[in-house]
Amino acid sequence: MTRIEPLEPAVIKDPELNALIERCKALGVPDEIFPRILARVPSYAKALLDAMVMSHAEGNVDHRLKEIVRIQLTRRSGDPYFGTLRSARAREAGLDEVTIKAGCDDYERSKLFTEKEKWALRYADQLYMNPASVDAEFYAGMKRHYTEAQIMELGAFIALHYGMQVFMRTLAKP
Amino acid sequence: MATDPDAIDAAFYDELRRHYSEAEIVELGAFIGFNVGYHTFFGTLKFYPMFAPDGRLVDQQESARIYGEAPVSLAAPESVGS
Repeated sequence: MTRIEPLEPAVIKDPELNALIERCKALGVPDEIFPRILARVPSYAKALLDAMVMSHAEGNVDHRLKEIVRIQLTRRSGDPYFGTLRSARAREAGLDEVTIKAGCDDYERSKLFTEKEKWALRYADQLYMNPASVDAEFYAGMKRHYTEAQIMELGAFIALHYGMQVFMRTLAKP
Repeated sequence: MATDPDAIDAAFYDELRRHYSEAEIVELGAFIGFNVGYHTFFGTLKFYPMFAPDGRLVDQQESARIYGEAPVSLAAPESVGS
């Protein structure tokens, strides 16, 4: 299924890691395949999975918006695994596929998003497509809608999830 | 992984396995992915190392002069390392 096979659940003995994997499964992101691959290095798995779930599901930026951002990033990273995953919590909060698709396509012209939401989508879109455009002027625009803490929350969330998507892309068999 | 992820195919992983355990490959892959994500983000924040190459604590202005105004992580892939 993947170029490095996930460990079988029965061989993962670390209770803290198992609790995190259950949390990933319950949220739906990053499900359980990626965590069971990471489980080959338990110390890394615990740190990275905790950060992935916390940055996605906690904080002061709308979880639904971060879910759209995360899925939009998979277009850039080209990762099919993370691109097909969906947050159960975001779905329960009302996020639908129409909105997700709008956020991944021409969000600038979409009426589904506020200007504030478009800044978050723009941030993710530009950060890896054209990082030089994310300059002082760009951050000044973001600061009209977000606190500096929220910008750091979004940036760290985007960086971590994009990085793990890039890694997972190489593990997926065509 | 950062510049040509399609090059990391089955044959690439087979070659890696000749030198590293699967746990070591996961460790490397996660580490590289983490850095691919964060270095680009950090590059947009325009901050520089606190220390000069000789170990002196320097302010951000001096550090920018030492390490360059444009962080390497913002450079085009083909220019990195050149």
